[in-house]
Amino acid sequence: MTQSPFDIEVDQITLAQARRGSLPACERIFRWFQQPAYSVALRICQCPDTAQEVTQEAFITVFRKLRQYRGDAPFWGWLRRVVVNHAISTLRRSPRAQELEFQDYHASSHGQQEQLGLAMDLEAALASLGDEDRAVVWLHDVEGYGHKEIAEMFGKTESFSKTRLSRARARLRSLLEGPGESIPGEAPGGKAAGGIAP
Amino acid sequence: MKQPMQKKQDPLNLQSLPLVSPPRDGWPVIEAVLRREQRRRTALRYAGGALALAASVTLALGLVLQRPLSGPVEPAPEQSLAQALPSTQGQSGVVDGGAAPETETLNVMIALSQRLEGRLRALRSGTGDLPARALVYQVELEDLVAQVDEELSRRPDSLPLWSQRVSLLMDLDRLYENRLRREYRQVASL
Repeated sequence: MTQSPFDIEVDQITLAQARRGSLPACERIFRWFQQPAYSVALRICQCPDTAQEVTQEAFITVFRKLRQYRGDAPFWGWLRRVVVNHAISTLRRSPRAQELEFQDYHASSHGQQEQLGLAMDLEAALASLGDEDRAVVWLHDVEGYGHKEIAEMFGKTESFSKTRLSRARARLRSLLEGPGESIPGEAPGGKAAGGIAP
Repeated sequence: MKQPMQKKQDPLNLQSLPLVSPPRDGWPVIEAVLRREQRRRTALRYAGGALALAASVTLALGLVLQRPLSGPVEPAPEQSLAQALPSTQGQSGVVDGGAAPETETLNVMIALSQRLEGRLRALRSGTGDLPARALVYQVELEDLVAQVDEELSRRPDSLPLWSQRVSLLMDLDRLYENRLRREYRQVASL
């Protein structure tokens, strides 16, 4: 099972303080989850400013509704769902405004250069996907959501999620392979056997 | 077992993409929104308290009006409006048992006003100086009472004016009452 970057345990004391409206507790939670929340919003919306707004709105929603969180599921799962819902509804409301730049990627050693190149290729390939395809492949492959959950988020059927996932993966493969190349670690014929080497 | 499952879940290894940091710190905006909402909630709570107080005063007044005051009423030393009223009201029948409801209400208001005047006199002599903030409030209230009195000298049988006067005197009464309570607590703590 994939481990989401959101998978951070929040202690009960911090949660209780945040429920009572303690701003330092809210800030602690924000600092812990800011990066995963922003990352998923950015992968879905592909615009840094929009992703920032989505992240802020999502956290405000979470802190407002914290009393409604029953604690029967991990807090991070609830928070992530709020972020994803905000991102998807923003995606529906407004088209992509700005292309993603890869300014955050820096290689610290020669050995990381190759990884960096691969990551940039992958990022560029991802950015070239349609909005819904990209969101579905990210939510399924990285965040580990099932087709049923993804269908609910988009208000569509499971077959929508399956079709989009399959299409997005095929498109990513073709973009990453290039003419006459194959994705590192992937078996010939297109079926994944190892994924892209990190 | 875990590795193949992961491959199936993420065949293109999208998880290898690093987390991205936002261009700006998002906390100041969130904090400002949360603070504003907290202030609004606090203000609403105070407003709710004030409304509840107003409702209780109205209820108390309503009860007083339903059941006219019994027992001796402290005579106010000023003997200003209240005692002058029967003569100025002429035929309105202030003390007439079979008076119209509005006249009867007016009568009760005047009596209540007198009673509050007497009570305030006693309270004033029993308390020390009011703190600065309360003093400002007291002066404002007394100015308002003076304005109402001036109006009353022209329209002595106006029920709204008498009601207003009673309401202002009750506010003054609360002011002194709070002061007394504070003084009592100070003495008790010694």
